[in-house]
Amino acid sequence: MRVVLAEDLYLLRDGLSRLLTAHGFDVVAAVETGPELRDALLGLRPDVAVVDVRLPPTRTDEGLQAALAARREIPGLPVLVLSQHVEQLYARELLADGSGGVGYLLKDRVFNAEQFVDAVRRVAGGGLAMDPDVIAKLLARTRREEPMGRLTPREREVLALMAEGRSNHAIGQRLFLSASAVGKHIASIFGKLGLAPSDDDNRRVLAVLAYLNGAADA
Amino acid sequence: MSPGTDAVQTCRMTLAPVRRRALALLHGLALAGLGAASAVSLAVHLVFLVVGFGLGVVILPPLVIRAGRPLADLARRLAAAWSRVEVARPYRPQPARPTPDAEGRYPRNGRLYRRPWVPALLDWIDWLLGDPATYRDLAWLALNPVVGTLLGGAPAALVVTGVWYAVSRAGTDWWALPLGLGAVVAGLAAAPGLVAAHGRWTRLLLRPPRDEPGRLRVWYGRLLLTLLRLLVLLGLSLLALPLAVLVALALPLGYALGAGVLLAPLIEAVRHLPELRRRLAGRWSGVEVPTPYLPRPKLPRRRPDGHYRVGDHLYRTERWAGRHLRLRWLIRDGATWRDLLWLPLDPVVGGLVLAAPPAALGYGLFGLVVPRLAALLLGADPGRTAGGWYGAVAGSPAAAIPVGLALAVLGVLTASPALRANGRWVRLLLGPTERARLALRVRRLTQTRADATEAQAAELRRIERDLHDGAQARLVAVGINLGTVEYLLDRDPQAARALLAETREAAAKALAELRDLVRGIHPPVLAERGLADAIRAFALDLPVRTQVDVELPGRAEPPIESAVYFAVSELLTNVVRHARAERATVELRYGDGRLRVAVRDDGQGGADPTRGSGLRGVERRLGTFDGVVAVDSPPGGPTTVTLEVPCVLSSPRTSTS
Repeated sequence: MRVVLAEDLYLLRDGLSRLLTAHGFDVVAAVETGPELRDALLGLRPDVAVVDVRLPPTRTDEGLQAALAARREIPGLPVLVLSQHVEQLYARELLADGSGGVGYLLKDRVFNAEQFVDAVRRVAGGGLAMDPDVIAKLLARTRREEPMGRLTPREREVLALMAEGRSNHAIGQRLFLSASAVGKHIASIFGKLGLAPSDDDNRRVLAVLAYLNGAADA
Repeated sequence: MSPGTDAVQTCRMTLAPVRRRALALLHGLALAGLGAASAVSLAVHLVFLVVGFGLGVVILPPLVIRAGRPLADLARRLAAAWSRVEVARPYRPQPARPTPDAEGRYPRNGRLYRRPWVPALLDWIDWLLGDPATYRDLAWLALNPVVGTLLGGAPAALVVTGVWYAVSRAGTDWWALPLGLGAVVAGLAAAPGLVAAHGRWTRLLLRPPRDEPGRLRVWYGRLLLTLLRLLVLLGLSLLALPLAVLVALALPLGYALGAGVLLAPLIEAVRHLPELRRRLAGRWSGVEVPTPYLPRPKLPRRRPDGHYRVGDHLYRTERWAGRHLRLRWLIRDGATWRDLLWLPLDPVVGGLVLAAPPAALGYGLFGLVVPRLAALLLGADPGRTAGGWYGAVAGSPAAAIPVGLALAVLGVLTASPALRANGRWVRLLLGPTERARLALRVRRLTQTRADATEAQAAELRRIERDLHDGAQARLVAVGINLGTVEYLLDRDPQAARALLAETREAAAKALAELRDLVRGIHPPVLAERGLADAIRAFALDLPVRTQVDVELPGRAEPPIESAVYFAVSELLTNVVRHARAERATVELRYGDGRLRVAVRDDGQGGADPTRGSGLRGVERRLGTFDGVVAVDSPPGGPTTVTLEVPCVLSSPRTSTS
């Protein structure tokens, strides 16, 4: 799997590069500035990009802007954004186009190499990987509002894990539920949120996130 | 029908017009009486208005206005009955009695009152002073003594003059009788027309105002307002004279009797008048005059020997030290002496400027034009009897009307320049001198600099403590653990693995703490996106729905962005903690070189800026940049906190979204 990596700090870039290579990824470019990233994304068209939000030369949100611009050129280009801090504002911008293949994680998550690599693979496959911090903030905001207020605590837990991008199986493991119980919860969530049930895992998660995004927009 | 009744009928028919005219004559006479009554009413109004507005007795103007309305109503009724001119009553309906809320309190304008009479009284005052008809009534009062009396009284005056002329000169001049009779007939003939004209005159000012005031009306209203302001200021100016005498007597007396300390309350009380004039100069004359006084000093700390030192004096009690300090503060302030110098000067200099336009207008109309007209109409010539100034110019009655009109025009033209000139006069003596202004500025800068350095030092201490107890300690733990892992790696791989997991956890915690710390120093979004998105990102994380509305043509300097960001986040945190609000809005605007932020919430209100340390902190934070904070938070809400910071915006950087 071909990866483009953008990170301005040498130590982190090197570490990430080694980590991904060790897990069987092919790091085709490891760049350190926004313009370089833009060229690499459009020129190399990688299977997935791992991008730091803050990049030179402006040291503002150049990485995020470059990733968003590239996704406008190549719709659905999988991008996993890393940052020292997570903001709902940025999450909403990443999710705004409604297509999948988006991840947004704290840099701390790299500590757990298996989970991180798992997230990169999920994003590359068109799925989602939202940081639990972002999900928690989104859910806290929507707690008192209809129709989110009608969800039971257990359903909210399931929804949060779905939003992180986990499969039914993983959710069941985390919450010590059987796969059929998870399925029931999910059906109930869709019923309460007025979403038509679908077999496609990915589309369900996208629908939930689109809903969260919409709730935050209102 | 008999010939007798026929003759009576004919007689009635010929007499009817005469009767009608004679009745109109009497009506006119009554209307002239109304004119005289309105003159009396005008005088009473002037006294109440000048005293009421001048001395701040707000109840007086509405009282006299309410009491004066029956007279205007009478004029309207007479216009309908005698002149066939219907004049609708223009007044707004009286306000309804206040109704209590669920708790039995009476809400009015965002305040709750225990008893109904206070809001009822305030409603009543607003009802009378807020009605444009009130001011049209006043204008009518000012003009009706002349216009109404002339229109109403002219026919009767003609008849009386005619009869008197015919009777007194009948023996000497053969033409006296026909001339006198002619005047009587003319008076009778003009009576119905003039009474009708009087009705139209009444309608002119006493009817409900049209929706769109004409240009003439606007001009006239402004002139009237300017003249009223001149008169009020004149009253205040004259008030300075007795105060000047009082101070002139009290100052030497106080010192002679050794009771100088008792002078302080007097001097401080006297400040109210100049302070009122400064405010009015800003509001009425458009000349802003800042308050020049030095800030009240704080009592010095108690010395080790238990005394308070004020100057070279030592006091045992706080009370006497405070009194001396107060006197010292007042006497050492140059503004105090400029106030005291202003007191005797203002009635002369300021008073002359204020009095000139109304005097020119008043003397021109009522001292020259009206007596001359009266002389022409009634035949009497007051100029001869009153020493050559009343109804005559330098003994010449012919010049009275043109000169009077010229004076009146001059008065009208100079009214608003005089108001402005008075403002400048107030600023000349009552405004801060350049030195005082600089001294105040230096004091303010010293204060805000002290606040800023203090805040900065506190911030550094907090960062040091957070790093020392948080991330630094955790990294030490990580190092120790790694050493242990190295040792365990060969001996007990299982334990080494467990310890590694724990170490990773510690590193993650250290990162989380550093992240929070960085947010507190300078939020990353502020660095990456600027003020607008930083506030948006902050608002998104709040449990209260917050709408952020930003219209900034560029970006402010980073220190100002940072100060405003932290001020707004503090305010929004307050909303979440205390306001019990459902919704909040943040509005950022830029104009006139100032960045304005309004934070509103629909919560319970009642925020007290003097109590909450949060608001004080916001004030201090913005004070460094000469920013100001205003809080409007009536009990029951809503609360609006407004921040204003003077700043320059840089040209906008390329848009990010």
